[in-house]
Amino acid sequence: MDFQGKAILVTGAGRGIGAAIARAFAAEGAMVVVNYLRNQQAAEAVAAKCRALGGDGLPLRADVTDAAAVAGMVETVVAEFGGLDVVVNNAFAPYVFDPDRRRLFWETEWDDYQTQIDGALKSTHAVCRAVLPALRRRGGGSIVNMATDLVARPTVPYHDYTTAKAALIGFSRTLAAELGPFGIRVNCVAPGLVYPTDASRSTPEPVKDRITALTPLGRIAAPKDVAGPVLFLASDWSRFVTGQTLTVDGGLVMGGL
Amino acid sequence: MAFGDDPSVIELAGHLPGLPPDTVERRVLTFGSGAAALRVAVPVLDAEQVERVAATVRAAARGYLKTLPTAHIVAVIDAAIQRLLDREDPWRRKAERLLPVVTGYDPEMVRLGLTGYLKTFRAHELRRFLAEDFANPLVLDEFQPAPKGGFTRAFGPDLLLHVWAGNVPGLPLWSLISGLLVKSGTVGKLPSAEPLFAGWFAQLLAEIDPRLGECLAVVWWKGGDAAAERAWLAQADTVVAYGGNAALAAIRDRVPVTTRFLPYGHKISFALVSRAALDPRRSGETARLAAHDIARYDQQGCYSPQTLFVERGGRLSPQDFAAMLAHELAVQARKHPRRVLSMAEAGEVAGWRDGQAMRGLDGSGHLLLSDPAGGWCVSCIDAPDGLAPTALNRTISVVAVDDLAEVAGRVAPHRAVLQTAGIAAPPEELFRLAGPLGAAGVTRLCALGSMTAPEAGWHHDGRFNLLDLVTVTEIERSAEALAEGLARYAD
Repeated sequence: MDFQGKAILVTGAGRGIGAAIARAFAAEGAMVVVNYLRNQQAAEAVAAKCRALGGDGLPLRADVTDAAAVAGMVETVVAEFGGLDVVVNNAFAPYVFDPDRRRLFWETEWDDYQTQIDGALKSTHAVCRAVLPALRRRGGGSIVNMATDLVARPTVPYHDYTTAKAALIGFSRTLAAELGPFGIRVNCVAPGLVYPTDASRSTPEPVKDRITALTPLGRIAAPKDVAGPVLFLASDWSRFVTGQTLTVDGGLVMGGL
Repeated sequence: MAFGDDPSVIELAGHLPGLPPDTVERRVLTFGSGAAALRVAVPVLDAEQVERVAATVRAAARGYLKTLPTAHIVAVIDAAIQRLLDREDPWRRKAERLLPVVTGYDPEMVRLGLTGYLKTFRAHELRRFLAEDFANPLVLDEFQPAPKGGFTRAFGPDLLLHVWAGNVPGLPLWSLISGLLVKSGTVGKLPSAEPLFAGWFAQLLAEIDPRLGECLAVVWWKGGDAAAERAWLAQADTVVAYGGNAALAAIRDRVPVTTRFLPYGHKISFALVSRAALDPRRSGETARLAAHDIARYDQQGCYSPQTLFVERGGRLSPQDFAAMLAHELAVQARKHPRRVLSMAEAGEVAGWRDGQAMRGLDGSGHLLLSDPAGGWCVSCIDAPDGLAPTALNRTISVVAVDDLAEVAGRVAPHRAVLQTAGIAAPPEELFRLAGPLGAAGVTRLCALGSMTAPEAGWHHDGRFNLLDLVTVTEIERSAEALAEGLARYAD
């Protein structure tokens, strides 16, 4: 896959899955914007790695739930890279995937939902609105939004997180319908449990073992495993694919059609 | 062995009644390259052969074509068209196979274009064609009573010469069929860019009605060959010529003064998109129609749009529309890829695109959308631009206007070259705009999406294409009255 000369924005790319995606794009020659919120040092390290891999890396701080901050970031990207081809909405509100400490439904307040909806949906909305003119100037582009296989199979009922990601899938399909006529594709990648990431650090071993036992490919995803499908959906290989959710969980969830 | 590998495989172009085939010198034109290359042998006639063909056609037309009722001619043409519409017919298969090689156009585009085009020459459409120009088409067959008294009959020229141009497949059919309908002995000069279809059609007519086949010839000479051109121009009673102004002026200078000369020069066409066509439901379809008009035959037709005037104030802005149009052109590029351009054409496209890109640097809201591979280019202009030729080959200007009523004024300076305006607007607006556009020189208003498919019986460049060919002979009332007195039964 050749992303030579392509400009890619990955939100929440300072760590975990986002960082793996950023590095994978850079390894294919892309110019990658490593968006982050808190950890400047980590983002700079990811950007440096991107350059070492043969691409380009530009760390940019922006709170993706803040439309003005996002607009500023996109302006910088366009000035720096001359345009934008691919956007990966990976950032989400901090969450801990620990079944033992999860909130039961009767403990989950509307504010919990709101926090996750803001993290998954408000941020994606802000980013998509801001990047649209740049994508249209290129005569097309690809948007990839990170969802979760929990929407199809709530292995652990993380109410607020999963509900927000379910909304993101609906948002993505609807956006795909609106932007198809402009040549812009919108798809989701829905990983299962990915380890190690900050969010899954405290997932207990028995939970991982149970998921592994149910997974045909016999293991849990690593951040790198998620990058391939994202690159596919960003590339011309998937030029006739839009409005889809690609599940990346070793076969734990099957179906969709 | 693949077609084209065998040097003995060569397509003979033209149709030459009166000349034994082995006496004709031929020149080979090569189209395409490699295994797909096609060699076409066009006829090169000497002065004596020109005279012989002209005499044959003239005599056959006088002895046969001019004696036929128009309905019979319509029936023979219809039979030929039905053959060409049948995808299993050998002529049709040959056309589908070879025309893409000769013209470079996408095979599917040629196939779809041919069917749409040929349909306009079926019998009922030909009758429409006749009715458009003649209140009573029977004037072509016998003297008909005239409203002012007396009788009139219309006669086509004995020998009508067509000088064709361009590479749109089958284009010569319009004038060729017009000539036959007015019973003219017909000679057509093949365009070097598509030297096959007109000859095939003549051969097919000869297959269906051999005597009619004697009444028309399809010949070739190298464009600008003054001697060959003069030899033919001297034979013709009427000359219909297509091409650029310089070529037409050169022909006009050689046409004898008593010969009627009907030139059809290069034209420019454009489209208008009302804000009513730019709401969320309709805009996608509007962009699709516009892209169709732009992609079909890579804008090589006089009816192809070069500028789209798009009205501001719709739910989607002209910039939004330009972006949708860009995507639709990308879709067309996949469905019907642009033909391979010559070096000169590719240079023109690149030059035009660079020129448009420069305009974007002044921050005037100019938007340039183009395919990295260069298959198409949309330049969206937010300035009060008029009509400007693009580099063709799927390059288009989208000019934003506050009100479509401004467009007539902007195109008026180009009156001499205006032809088609494709339009997507509500009824009141269509009629409000039609008057000023017509006054500005536009001769054809059609739906966006139909620009490259003129309807049957259209008036090419606003002319009466059959009426222009004929002369009318009148029997005045006085002759009729005097005759009455001379009747053997006169009292």
